[in-house]
Amino acid sequence: MMYDHFDNAVKGITDKLNQDPEGINARKKYVLELSRLGKKLYSKDENIAWCGVTAPFDLLGSMGVTSCFVEFVGAMLSSTQTADYFFEEAEDSGFATDSCAYHRAVMGAVLKNAMPRPDFIIGTSSPCTAGLAVMENFAHQYKKDFFLLNVPQNYTQDAIKYLSAQLEEMVRFVSDHTKRPLSKQKLGIALENFNASSQLLKEIYDLAKTKPSPVDNNILKDFGTVITLLMGTQEGVDICQAFKDELNHRIKTSFNHASKEKIRLMWIQNRIQYPFPINEMLDDLGAVIVVDELNDVTWEPMDPDKPFESIAKRMISIPFSMDASERIKHLQDLAVAYRIDGAINPCHWGCRQGTGIRGLISKGFKDINVPVLNLEIDCVDSRNLAKGQIETRVEAFLEMLS
Amino acid sequence: MIFLGIDIGSLSCDAVLIDEEKNILASSVILTGAKNIESIARAKKNVLDAAGIMEKDIRSIIATGYGRARVKEKDAAVTEITCHAKGIKHVIPETRILIDIGGQDSKAMLLDPDGNVVDFAMNDKCAAGTGRFLEAMARALEVDITELGDLDKGATSDLVLSSMCTVFAESEVISLIACGTEQKEIAKGLNRSIAARTHSLVKRVAGNIDGLTVSMSGGVARNKGVVKAIAQSMNLEKINTPETPDIIGALGAAIIGFEKIHR
Repeated sequence: MMYDHFDNAVKGITDKLNQDPEGINARKKYVLELSRLGKKLYSKDENIAWCGVTAPFDLLGSMGVTSCFVEFVGAMLSSTQTADYFFEEAEDSGFATDSCAYHRAVMGAVLKNAMPRPDFIIGTSSPCTAGLAVMENFAHQYKKDFFLLNVPQNYTQDAIKYLSAQLEEMVRFVSDHTKRPLSKQKLGIALENFNASSQLLKEIYDLAKTKPSPVDNNILKDFGTVITLLMGTQEGVDICQAFKDELNHRIKTSFNHASKEKIRLMWIQNRIQYPFPINEMLDDLGAVIVVDELNDVTWEPMDPDKPFESIAKRMISIPFSMDASERIKHLQDLAVAYRIDGAINPCHWGCRQGTGIRGLISKGFKDINVPVLNLEIDCVDSRNLAKGQIETRVEAFLEMLS
Repeated sequence: MIFLGIDIGSLSCDAVLIDEEKNILASSVILTGAKNIESIARAKKNVLDAAGIMEKDIRSIIATGYGRARVKEKDAAVTEITCHAKGIKHVIPETRILIDIGGQDSKAMLLDPDGNVVDFAMNDKCAAGTGRFLEAMARALEVDITELGDLDKGATSDLVLSSMCTVFAESEVISLIACGTEQKEIAKGLNRSIAARTHSLVKRVAGNIDGLTVSMSGGVARNKGVVKAIAQSMNLEKINTPETPDIIGALGAAIIGFEKIHR
């Protein structure tokens, strides 16, 4: 079922792109590549690793492993409105109905045998321990080996050394399972691609910062979180280039959305995954999400001579890996750089990132005079959506800002 | 010129007509019921009849409340948060903290000296502490909702309901009745529970309320017991309530219509 879904998506998007060969269509190209990744994950011909969000996908890719974070599947099931079946399976097996629905959907898919069978699992302690527990459960269910990358919360030399050593150990673990050693040449190419993608990302985000912004409410949605899956590949570089071209094109052609920009917003954490007309609501009121929390390059270029140290630094630098004060500082810096008028914090049900530091995030924004809307919302399980209540909160917030 | 505000909430449908001087010409509060389109038409007819005005004389219609999108003839829809702030500014201009407890929402708003909303907080996932909650509790206590306000008179205990989920709280009330707890003690416990929840919302928007005038709007502001309990919880001598707290949203909507024309 899932293979067919991705196969159909690849065919459909390819057809559309072929109909418009001159168009930039960055988002379509991006979704096409993600669909190809989905197809590979479900093809049964690949070495597969299910991972945590902050895993080194470029390193794994250079070792011939097709890898993905499990939340990608939760989001995909939600966005295609097929998640309820899997939620119910997970709940019937004892998962609490108010646990994180990204993971509940994944657990349901595991129990229903709808997840691609992995060769092994690479868990990460960041960004969340709930995801880690789900991956342990996953490993247990499929009787596969589990490797944990324990990502420290502070950016110190000791922490970098600690994580570098774990990455080296992970490479041995992967080689043992794939029977393939790490090729320095292939890793070098992956890191080169990663650096090229990172440079393009910086340029994309700089374009998004302009006022009025060339972005609309959809184009860079959750981009920083998901693009990491592709950044070590040439396709990732090409997609980043397409986004940069599209934003430049919009600026040159006075993209008509920009003239409607009245309110500039930041979206904290991840967006709502199931169909919900929040973008339309924002559009109607002239509000534009100019930045998502993870749409940022927080790392230095990868050094091919010190690959493990570079990757370790990168993993620790991701704001979700850091402690609350560093994460809030990062949010404040983004708020200033993007000149936002307000921020929306969806406080995803059952998520420590969303609800755990809600008060501190509110205070952090208050300190720089930026209003925050805390939404009580399940971003993945639409059965928990109180549509009218969410609409009222968002609209009232926008009325307040305008 | 005449301006109409309609607040179509989950429990009541309110309409207010104002004139060029922002004087209230007529107001109406009816139950929304299951057919809100009909309720909107009825509330509108009530105020037009009461003021002796023809529909063609209405210059602007602003809709608010959960059913705001259902008001077909509206010029604009504005949320109840903005409308209540606008309405309270008109009747109690010094208000800086506004508590609005409606049918399925409770809200706390921090207003600037000009009456603009600076911050707001709303009840979380459920309807605990709202008008619906009180309706369910009145049913459990077998009293009319209008009797609830005075029901806690003479209560002396420190009873607080431990559960604030509407369904669980109703069972708790039934258990207390079964244990022989007096109605007035249960009513006081209910009021204290609502007060604690409401106070928490206020704290989210204003850590320090010293020197800020606190007012309350929405149908629950008619319940003296709840208002008193909230004041006690917030260590206030009193909370200001308008004469007709349930029409403040509709009044604010009408004033917004007036301001849109006159700006």
